[in-house]
Amino acid sequence: MQILKNRGVFIALLLVGLLLPLFTDSQPVLLLFTRIFILAIFAMSYDILLGYTGIISFGHVMYFGIGAYSISLLLKHGGESWVNVLLAALIAVILSAIVSLIVGILSLRLKNTYYAMITLAFAELFHIVSLKWRSLTYGEDGFNFSSQIPDFLKDRFYFYYISFIALLLVGYFLYQFTKSPTGKVLVAIRENEARAEMLGFSTLYYKLISSTVAGVVASLSGILYAISYRYVGSASVFGMDKTIDALLMTIIGGVGTLFGAIIGAGIINLAHQFLADLANFHPIFERWLIFFGILYILIVMFFPSGILGTFNKYKYKFQSRKVERDKSHANSS
Amino acid sequence: MEQIFVLTLNGLATGMLIFLIAAGLSLIFGLMDVLNFSHGALSMWGAYVGLWIYTGLDQFWLQKLSGFNTSPWYPMVNILDFFVGILGGMLVGALLGWLVEKYMIRPVYGNHVQQILITMGVMLVLSEAIKLFWGSNLIAAPVPLMLDGSWQIGSLVVIKYRLTIIIIGLIVLGALYWLMQKTKIGLYVRAGVQNKEMVQTLGINVRKVFTLVFILGTSLAALGGMLMGPFMNQVYPSMGIEKQLLAFIVVVIGGMGSIFGSAVAGMIVGISEAFMLYFIPDAALAVNVLLMAFVLLIKPSGLFGERG
Repeated sequence: MQILKNRGVFIALLLVGLLLPLFTDSQPVLLLFTRIFILAIFAMSYDILLGYTGIISFGHVMYFGIGAYSISLLLKHGGESWVNVLLAALIAVILSAIVSLIVGILSLRLKNTYYAMITLAFAELFHIVSLKWRSLTYGEDGFNFSSQIPDFLKDRFYFYYISFIALLLVGYFLYQFTKSPTGKVLVAIRENEARAEMLGFSTLYYKLISSTVAGVVASLSGILYAISYRYVGSASVFGMDKTIDALLMTIIGGVGTLFGAIIGAGIINLAHQFLADLANFHPIFERWLIFFGILYILIVMFFPSGILGTFNKYKYKFQSRKVERDKSHANSS
Repeated sequence: MEQIFVLTLNGLATGMLIFLIAAGLSLIFGLMDVLNFSHGALSMWGAYVGLWIYTGLDQFWLQKLSGFNTSPWYPMVNILDFFVGILGGMLVGALLGWLVEKYMIRPVYGNHVQQILITMGVMLVLSEAIKLFWGSNLIAAPVPLMLDGSWQIGSLVVIKYRLTIIIIGLIVLGALYWLMQKTKIGLYVRAGVQNKEMVQTLGINVRKVFTLVFILGTSLAALGGMLMGPFMNQVYPSMGIEKQLLAFIVVVIGGMGSIFGSAVAGMIVGISEAFMLYFIPDAALAVNVLLMAFVLLIKPSGLFGERG
């Protein structure tokens, strides 16, 4: 199994994730980690686009928001029931698949740079609809639906494990997806689109698959996010800063490594928490995004493969050197 | 009838402002294949710095000379301050553009993904830096006294400042046309948009042309931002990304690399925005996005674009 490539990271994550609730029963800590898991799912879906297909979306938040609004509206108006939760998941999946297909068909026929602009425009459109359709969404204020959430999902302890299992399942699914023949074609498109086209692959078709998979997974993370906050508001689930968060998490963790996104999500959320506390000491820390912006530029320029990617590179270098040494050793004896 | 006239004039002014931002974006993309996501932030820097110089100078004179605000010379000095502000804003736009091109875009030249990611990072840093210097609340941007108010022509009302914007926009359009069609530099740029390898082979330093176009584009964006402040009576930190979105829509509709296309699309988007804001304000952006989707469906390379 190739998943063992990052065995150390994988086992460490698994252990931390499984055992954490046993060591702490502090609600804020559990909640923080729950959100890290949820945003890691979001970031992994972004990595499918950016890291595995080489196309940039600046409107990935729209799928996230579609998921968040579909569950909260359905529970708010349909009342507390498991049927509604499943129905919301179904609606979110179908809706985000349709939207990603429309956006993809409009923009992916052109240069990939168009995709960045057009997703941005569509995400802004969703943001404005959620802002203006006040009778349904309550606009900027948003609404709370905590009394309609099934009790099982409301328990922070259970919900922690639900998010963790969702992260594992989505991670496994996306990992298999990237290793599947389709995933290989996506990587080929990333490396050289013209060549992939020449080899007879319809690149538009594959790019559409990639953007749909990414959109559907992002909408699932939006559902979990809304349940964890028990609230939706247009700025919190359709705001541009969520897309930027996904971008930062993916880049910092490592583009095209999938599991790097989990590390990135951890770092960004912990640092966010930390810097928000620091803001009490000096107001410059309120502008924490400026540090991330600079860090992000430096990473894109000097470590384009991010934390996990750089780590893997050195590991491979070390391993190949070891293999060579063994070989020469075997030859000489 | 009067209402339609006012809305059209308003739309043309908005369109000119978006054209100023979109022209640089379109040229930079057409020539260098760089989608500059920091364009809106650079334009916003032009707006803030220009406004800062303009109101700063204004305050300076008012404090220096007591009773100056009633003097007949005051409106003249006031508008002079305004133009110094424009110049200052454009200079800052040019300087930031030069820095961004030299230190951010040139190192990753040829890698589109990295270029977009880096310019996005620049946008983040520049917008946050604005908040660091000027705070995150909106700041009032007064219209220069001489350009305040309106003319009454028959039953039609012409707001002076909007007409000024349209005139400045037309001057810029004319100057760009002259630059592109009548000068050597313009020739290089037009040839570069079509085939930059060929231009390089003919012994022209394309990199220098790139830098020049980038600086030209960002200073025009700064001009657009600076003029936009008094037009909206305020500047605020999210205006960069908002106007950039409209500029993207304009560039997609008009076609990448075509200045004329940006001008026409700018007018279309500006007028549709003005009319929608009057009749159905909630649907203003939706109409423009749908317009863009429609153009993409029937002519993916844009109305005046050569290539997609």
